[in-house]
Parts: sequence; C-alpha cells; structure tokens
Amino acid sequence: MASAPKDSIPVEELTYEQARDELAGIVATLESGGLTLEKSLDLWERGEALAAHCRTWLDAARTRIADTIDDGEEDEAE
Amino acid sequence: MSLESSPEEPVPVRTVSRALADYIARLGAIWMDGQVAEFRYRQGMRFQYFTLRDTDVEMSLSVRVDAAALGRLDPPLTEGQRVLVWAKPDFYAARGSLSMIAREVRTVGLGALLAELARLRDLLAAEGLFAADRKRPLPFLPRRVGLICGRNSAAMQDVLANARDRWPSVEFEIREVAVQGPQAVSAVTSALTELDAVSDVDVIIVTRGGGSVEDLLPFSNETMVRAAAACTTPIVSAIGHEQDAPLLDLVADLRASTPTDAAKRVVPSLVEQSALVDGLYARALRVLSHRLDSEVQTMDHGVARARSIVLSRLDAAATDVMHLQARVRVLSPAATLERGYAIVLNDQGAIVRDAEQVATDSLLDIRLAQGRMSARREG
Repeated sequence: MASAPKDSIPVEELTYEQARDELAGIVATLESGGLTLEKSLDLWERGEALAAHCRTWLDAARTRIADTIDDGEEDEAE
Repeated sequence: MSLESSPEEPVPVRTVSRALADYIARLGAIWMDGQVAEFRYRQGMRFQYFTLRDTDVEMSLSVRVDAAALGRLDPPLTEGQRVLVWAKPDFYAARGSLSMIAREVRTVGLGALLAELARLRDLLAAEGLFAADRKRPLPFLPRRVGLICGRNSAAMQDVLANARDRWPSVEFEIREVAVQGPQAVSAVTSALTELDAVSDVDVIIVTRGGGSVEDLLPFSNETMVRAAAACTTPIVSAIGHEQDAPLLDLVADLRASTPTDAAKRVVPSLVEQSALVDGLYARALRVLSHRLDSEVQTMDHGVARARSIVLSRLDAAATDVMHLQARVRVLSPAATLERGYAIVLNDQGAIVRDAEQVATDSLLDIRLAQGRMSARREG
C-alpha cells in the first residue's frame, strides 16, 4: 500500500524493534515539522504500515503464549 | 648315662633295649588321668588290656591290668569312661613294646567330673575368658559359615536347612567330627583351629544334639574352651538342649539354644532384607517424587510469572504502538483528509496543484482519508 521510500527496508522484513524504532523516528520527524506535503504523506503511510506490522507481531506473540498455556493445560489434564 | 656309639662302633640292639628299659623304669608308678579308648573284656583271661587315652590330645598308652583289679569296678569298665589309673611303665624288651602295668583302676564318677568342671569354669572365668567385652559381633552376612558337627547329625541337617531357608545362597565349610567320646575334644578343637584359619569363613557354628552330661563333657574341656577363646573368627555354640550349658557356651561369642536358632543367628533373612530394601526403596521414591512435585510446582510458578511478565510487556508495547500511530496521524495530512479533502498525485507521484500540469488521459492517483483510487483525466 505505502510506496516505500527507495532506501528503506520493506516493513515485512523488519523485526518488531526495528519497526517500532522507525515508527518512533517518523513521529519525531513529523513533530519537527517543515516537511513537504508529499514527504509527510509518505511518512504517514510508512508509519501506518510500521504500526500495523508491530501490532501483527504483538498479536502473534500473544497467540504463541496462549498456545503454550493451552499446551500446558493439556499436559496437566493428561 | 648316654651310650657312646658311632658307625664304626655301633651298639647292639640288646644294649639299646636295656638302656630303654632302664630309662622307662625310672618313671616309677604314677597316677594317670585319662579316658578308656578301646576295651574288650576277654573272658577268663588273667590280664585285661585297654587303651588309655589322654583327655585332651591324641596320645594314648596301652594298659595291662589284672582281671581281678578290674572286677572290683562297679559299674564295670566301659569305653569312653574317665578313669584314674595307678600304673608303672613296663618295657617289654623282647618286642620293644611299652605298656603300663596297672595296679589299680578307678572310674571317675560324675560328681567328680562335675566338680572338676566347676573348678575349671571358675579358673577360666577368673582369666576373663568369658568376659562380655571379649564377645565379637557376628558378621551381618558371612561369606562362608564354618560348621563343626556330628557326622550326618540331625543338628547338621537343622543348621543347613534353616540357614538355606533364610539365605538361599549361604555357603558352608563343614567339618563332620566326633562330638562324643575320647576323640571329641581333639577332633572339635582341631576343626575349630582349622576353620579359624580359613580366611573367608566369617563365623563358626559348633553344634551337637542333646546327650547325657558325660556326652557333653568334651565341650567343657579346657583345651577345647581355650582353643575357642583363641579363635579370631566369631563362634556360635549350639550344644545339646536348651538347659545344657557346657563351658563352650560361655566362651562362644554367641550361645544359640538349638542348631536351628544358631542358623537363624548367622544369616539374615532374604525375605526380611528384601522387604526392608523394598521399604527403603519405596520411601526413597516417595521422597523423590515429592521433591519432583515441588520442583514442578516451582517451575510452573516460574513459567506463570514469566508469562505474566511477557504479557504485560506486550500490552505496554501495544499501547506504545497505538500512541505512536495516533501521533503519526495527527502530524500527517490524515487529519485534513478526514475532513473530506483528497490529495491528487500525478503518475510521477507528485502532488497536482495546477490542472494545467495534467495531460488528458494521463493517470492520476487520488488519496482519500480511507484508501486511494486511480483516475484518468478526461476533460
């Protein structure tokens, strides 16, 4: 969806920490102001993508834990 | 006076015989204490002969006595009897044989024998041979069990059966010996000393069945008792019936009332021991599984805590991302678009601010608050 800036890494390949840090960077850049509309539009879209990536990762992590809890319960249930 | 002789000047036999006769005669008449070993009354003969054996060791002398002298004995002389003999040594030169010519033979009565036994007991007790602190503990599981008993005696069968019943793999070192009569003392004593020397015999049982006081006397004999005391291997004595108490009982490291009792004392019971071991094993298992349970609990507790920590961090992270995302939106054109504006970009991705810049039929990229569209300029 976002037209990723040429030099940046596709969001999917980023780790959670990398995505989150880049997102924080984007916020800082937007907060400093003085950006062209295009630039701020691109940053906004990259930011949305990074946020989505982070949330997906966090949800996945939560599911993994839920699975282990289920596994755990299955063990005890045996 | 010793005889001078040499290969060159040998001495004739007669001279040696006379010298021997002379030496022997010098002993003179003497009262001897011994046991009648062999004796067969020869009807109508003037002289009777019997073998007089030492009470303790394998030494004997042949004795000749007038039938009349024997006749006075009541009860008559019998083999195995303890006697006092007053006799003079006689060397019969013709055949070079020695015999004791007895002038008087007295049987030692039971009373005398028991009195002697009591005297001996006090003597040995005074020497501390019966002291409790001398008693050696029996080994828990002897490598081999020494067994001194009568030939194929019931006592032997009892010990073997009962010991094997308790500990099937028990090994014995058996000495079947005379347990009665003149040979008993020396036989049992040498068996004791012999078994004591066997390195892997860790305990020795001396046993015989019941019998008369005389029958059991050998087991109160000083030589045997001292031999037992000298043994380094623990000794279990099981002599006669419950009420019999020969001196060997007092010097033994353990007195068993019967051969069966002796067997029970020298080997542990496999059944009991394995039950004991099983019990210990079960207890160990219980302790171990209890420990494991608590370990698992601790671990579960640990895992639970780990989970809660991670989950809370995830929550925090999610919140953090949401904040960042909200910030991005606020600081970006999103707010303007939310109000209904749209941004038009040409096919180079640049924002179109002047309609003139856009050629008809060229593609346009239109960004809205939600999503984007492409369009083509017509008019």
